[in-house]
Amino acid sequence: MKELFNDILSITDVTGVMLFTFEGKLIFKEFLSPPPEEPESTNWWRVFLYSLDGAQEVDLVYEKSRFYIRKTELGYLLILMGILAPTAMMRLNCDLLIASLKRIKSTKGLRGLFRSKK
Amino acid sequence: MIRRVLIVDDDREMLLSLKEGLERYFESFRVLTAEDGMIAMEMLKKKTVSLVVSDLKMPRMDGFSLLAHIMEYYPDIPVVIITGYSTPEMERLAREGGAVGYIGKPFMIEDLARKIMATLRHESEGGTLHSVSSGMFLQLIEMEQKTCTIRLVDKASGNRGVLFFRDGELFDARVGSLQGEAATYRIFSWDEVNLSIQNACPQKEKKIQADLQAILLDAARLKDEADEETKPATVVEEREGPEDTSKTEQKSEGSDSTEGIKVRLEKQMGTMRGVEAIYHDRSWNGLIAQASRLGRFFNIGELKLAYIDRGEPNDFIVLPDKENTVVSVNPRCPRDKIMKAISEEMVSR
Repeated sequence: MKELFNDILSITDVTGVMLFTFEGKLIFKEFLSPPPEEPESTNWWRVFLYSLDGAQEVDLVYEKSRFYIRKTELGYLLILMGILAPTAMMRLNCDLLIASLKRIKSTKGLRGLFRSKK
Repeated sequence: MIRRVLIVDDDREMLLSLKEGLERYFESFRVLTAEDGMIAMEMLKKKTVSLVVSDLKMPRMDGFSLLAHIMEYYPDIPVVIITGYSTPEMERLAREGGAVGYIGKPFMIEDLARKIMATLRHESEGGTLHSVSSGMFLQLIEMEQKTCTIRLVDKASGNRGVLFFRDGELFDARVGSLQGEAATYRIFSWDEVNLSIQNACPQKEKKIQADLQAILLDAARLKDEADEETKPATVVEEREGPEDTSKTEQKSEGSDSTEGIKVRLEKQMGTMRGVEAIYHDRSWNGLIAQASRLGRFFNIGELKLAYIDRGEPNDFIVLPDKENTVVSVNPRCPRDKIMKAISEEMVSR
């Protein structure tokens, strides 16, 4: 599954990607440097995703970084990036990834997606 | 999508009778006419044509020369030859030259119409898609290494373009008189397109050398720059009062924050293009609290702003202050620019 996210992870200043189901279960994560805490260490994600209230796209700008969040067929995609990340390219790559996820879901199903990566 | 069929014949009576005879098929295609190859060449530069029906013997520029010109510059446009001097040798030459059909005069108009419609159907044999982002779709074509011709219509302007792919590589493009890379930049600047896919690529020569990803990247950058340079078009409309009990009136105790944002936006963006309203709204408290927690989890500092697209006509920029200042923006608002302007306002507080 990692190769699906390679294009996004190779964008300048992108530091991590997480994909959650709508119920808050972590499907995929990849960080270029270890985060302060592992996302699996909390079960709070469901609450966070619920607060998005079905939003299609969210940009969260913090003092040091930003999160770009996209709704996909499988759940929510969270991309952690620096302030310098090229946003137009980021959105374009997310469009592509979302289409790929949709295609994979319709052909293989979610289970097939993960089995192939084990 | 209504297609245009260009009929080229120096016999005016023939031209008129074909035009009249084919008008009954107006739901499938419209007819344009030209009296020789030279006029046809000029029309091809100005109009998007889906198919050409051409006589062979004409003054100034005959049907064979026109066929050769179309095969070189408009290889996606099929050509049907009609002639009163039909011989097996001429038919062989026409077909070898790239003609998809060859009909000897006299012929029944219905036969020509059938041939036209059967040929036009190939344009969308691979399917049609509506309201898609061309960048996203074309990367899929590249990934799947498809060989195809894609015809696109920009939803905003109605402009049409063609892209040629061979084994997933972008070979050529055309929009009006633009060809090659220049045409791709135009096409990739279109936000939403309708497109049809033909499962063949008549363009054999690779006229675009740059990588598709690089072109898309450049096109995105150019579009961003163009968006920033676009002049403001709308005037801000401030919300007069709260829509529900969770919203507070703009001129209440929090009015300093809305004023500051308004001044900053006017300074940086002229008359605040695309900004619909600035107001306070505590109903965003839940999202802001959870987003702030996300920031603490990753140790990336305090939340400065949240941009939310709910798939509704307007998007929302929420500033996490005491009452949550909300800037409601329409799709014309340059997203990255307004986010930058508001972030700077937050820092300067």
